[in-house]
Amino acid sequence: VPRVKAGTTRRARHKAVLATTKGHRAARSSRYRVAKESMLHALDYATRHRKLKKRQNRALAITRINAAAREHGLSYSSLINGLKKAEITLDRKSLADLSIRQPSAFAKVVASAKAEL
Amino acid sequence: MASKLSHSIGTHTRLWYLIDARHQVVGRLASMVALLLQGKNKPIYHPSVDTGDHVVVINTGHAVLTGSKWDKKLYRHHTGYPGGLKEIVAKQLHQKNPTMILRRAINGMLPKNLQRKHRMRRLHLYPDSAHSHALNITHQLPGPCPVFKTLSDYSSEEITSFPDIVTRISHL
Repeated sequence: VPRVKAGTTRRARHKAVLATTKGHRAARSSRYRVAKESMLHALDYATRHRKLKKRQNRALAITRINAAAREHGLSYSSLINGLKKAEITLDRKSLADLSIRQPSAFAKVVASAKAEL
Repeated sequence: MASKLSHSIGTHTRLWYLIDARHQVVGRLASMVALLLQGKNKPIYHPSVDTGDHVVVINTGHAVLTGSKWDKKLYRHHTGYPGGLKEIVAKQLHQKNPTMILRRAINGMLPKNLQRKHRMRRLHLYPDSAHSHALNITHQLPGPCPVFKTLSDYSSEEITSFPDIVTRISHL
């Protein structure tokens, strides 16, 4: 194979990696060899945590619904049971949001669930 | 979704709870107090924000351990030196400092993160009924265990007017 110089391609590849590591600490945003590892970790974390975020938000919503339901004398499990029987299909995100921002509406939801228990 | 209309001045304040530990089982009380210190009883709970409240527990010297735990439950720590495992029975620890048993129980029930120290600072334990937070207390909560009345809590009229069950049964 005839000799091929890198030419301008190397600089372009390195610039592409460094563009993804903007804001990383110290040499991880300026030196290619360190930045490449930092980029690989960052992409890995991003992929993993896109899935993790959904789990964590659901867990937080459940904790909040549990707290709000206990203010009305019910546990989270009893509330969900009552909502299923009353065929109320509000998801946990909406229930948690209601419990914080519209507590009077949440009280009515709890009352409907209690009626079915 | 970002409406704060239902929030009042009281939504984000730190409340002060007063709990009487007399006749309360240590573990069950500690579990309840740990939840209050974390703020997990509030719908606005978030793990990154410390939504916990202050808890004042009085009469910790009169808390209850069931079974033979006063004689058998061991509190251990290691001093770091070889052969430095120190063990102390619950009874002796209670005599040394009547708030330690409840403090260790609650400390162990909080999540082991950087917030634990701050949450423990909001815990105020007193061995007797004297405490210095009377101006701050917002709510008094009952403990998790039901407190039964002793004979001395009944008035003499109630005792004499109580239906005579024993002699009636012995007739049968």
